[in-house]
Amino acid sequence: MKRTMSLKNCVHLIVIGLALSLRAGAAVAEVVAVVSARNPVTATLSNNQVVDIFLGKASRFPDGSQAVPIDQSEGSAVRDEFYLKFTGKSPAQIKAHWSKIIFTGRGRPPREVTNSIEVKKLLAKDPNAIGYIEQSLVDSSVKVLLAQ
Amino acid sequence: MSFKLTTITLLALSLYGVSARADDDANTPMLSFSGYGTLGVAHSSENKADFNSSYFKPNGAGYSHSWSADVDSLIAGQVMANLTSQLTAVLQVVSEQNYDNTYRPHVEWANIKYQLTPDFSMRVGRIVLPVFLVSDSRKVGYANPWVRTPGEVYRVLPVSNSDGIDASYRVRIGEFTNTVQGIYGQNEIDLPSGGGTAKAKDVWGISYTGEVGAATAHLSYLQSNATVDAYKPLFDGFRQFGAEGIALADKYDLSKTHVSFISLGAMYDPGGWFAMSEWCNLDSKIETLRRSAWYASGGYRIDNFTPYLTYARVKADVNPSDPGLNVSALPPSQAGFAAALNAGLSAVLRTISAQKTISIGGRWDFMKNADIKLQFDHTRIDAGSNGSLINTQPGFQTGGKVNVFSATIDFVF
Repeated sequence: MKRTMSLKNCVHLIVIGLALSLRAGAAVAEVVAVVSARNPVTATLSNNQVVDIFLGKASRFPDGSQAVPIDQSEGSAVRDEFYLKFTGKSPAQIKAHWSKIIFTGRGRPPREVTNSIEVKKLLAKDPNAIGYIEQSLVDSSVKVLLAQ
Repeated sequence: MSFKLTTITLLALSLYGVSARADDDANTPMLSFSGYGTLGVAHSSENKADFNSSYFKPNGAGYSHSWSADVDSLIAGQVMANLTSQLTAVLQVVSEQNYDNTYRPHVEWANIKYQLTPDFSMRVGRIVLPVFLVSDSRKVGYANPWVRTPGEVYRVLPVSNSDGIDASYRVRIGEFTNTVQGIYGQNEIDLPSGGGTAKAKDVWGISYTGEVGAATAHLSYLQSNATVDAYKPLFDGFRQFGAEGIALADKYDLSKTHVSFISLGAMYDPGGWFAMSEWCNLDSKIETLRRSAWYASGGYRIDNFTPYLTYARVKADVNPSDPGLNVSALPPSQAGFAAALNAGLSAVLRTISAQKTISIGGRWDFMKNADIKLQFDHTRIDAGSNGSLINTQPGFQTGGKVNVFSATIDFVF
């Protein structure tokens, strides 16, 4: 009896350890979806609403104003983390999603910028823009839509 | 007409292409170029007939080639032009094995889209027929989980585009994205092996796509008047044999007929796994054309590796054999001709595909923008049918079993 207990504890420890290491491996930095502080969107968007804007399924915010998604460079850690966290999908799956849309001429992926500083610059210029940045870069110029 | 439309679109594209310049405001290029392709080989266990991926290819793996690169290989290039913020043009050219065994490129899409509002658009030119869940990307291997779309279902309506107009309207209700698309046009396609031309006129259809989160549902209806010239002499021949011959022709003549098509599909893809299924039915007064098909497919993602399993079934609504004209009741001068017609009819009935396939395969995203896939298909053909096999040789047995192995590399650029 005592022996099985310790075995169980051992398994628990391994599981916790694995979970921690997986989390450390996946989470490069906390990523949040943001809009300009001047954007009138006040309600927190649902995960699906944010995802649909970035995947080209929705072109407007819930209040009816136009939504202009801003992506970050392909291969950047913040981009991969954003899509993994918000859509559950890998970079290849996101690429496959856009291939479907591009190759019928139905649309194109969002405009890309090189880093979160550039995202913030664009948000400052365009109240309709929506982007994602590292949590640590959030300041008064942006409004966090969804902090998961 | 179809030629004209395409020509006009091409002309418009090239004109705007010449005057294209960088749009500094939106910072998006006016002209963008992209492409996709597949390099593949396939091997079939049946060496007295050919396996291929489309009715529009003249040969394939099995009889013509032990290993065939023609079954899945293709390359496509696309130019998209943003003429104004509302007006875009797209031209896509695909090079794949054609009906005449060449790789001469053909225009897959060439259309101009006018985006009246962010949710309402109209297109004129050569446009995708939105009949299946992955109609848009049936040739884009990289966008699909499998080596090729399940043939049992996708070959029920093998035509991928139409020359005409369409309108698409999207309504978002809460988290539901609803898209309704209407299309009107026509299509003309050359068939291999002296099959002449197949024409579809007055094609009109409507499709609905509903999306919420990781779930997608699709519904479509399409109808058309279709003509296939190659069968005309055979059934004109039957009509010369009085009431008996006319009855046979009315039952089987697929040289000129009206068809209607309906399909239903659903997909769930939350990222870590996917499941999808589609059902479709083709209906016509002519028995030879009636068929229904379905498939179910699922896969599980382990890092960059996605193993999948698919089951697909196509059923024809026609008896695979018919004795035809009663030759013994005819005078000897006509009996020979009647026997030849009967043989022709039997050959036509055997080509009606009725089969089931179980496919197991895997996709490996081995590098950015490219994947490798391996797939094994086990097909059981219904009694009396050639299944989807072509170029059947003496000694070929209908209603057999076939194994196909395929390996492909898909890429996008």
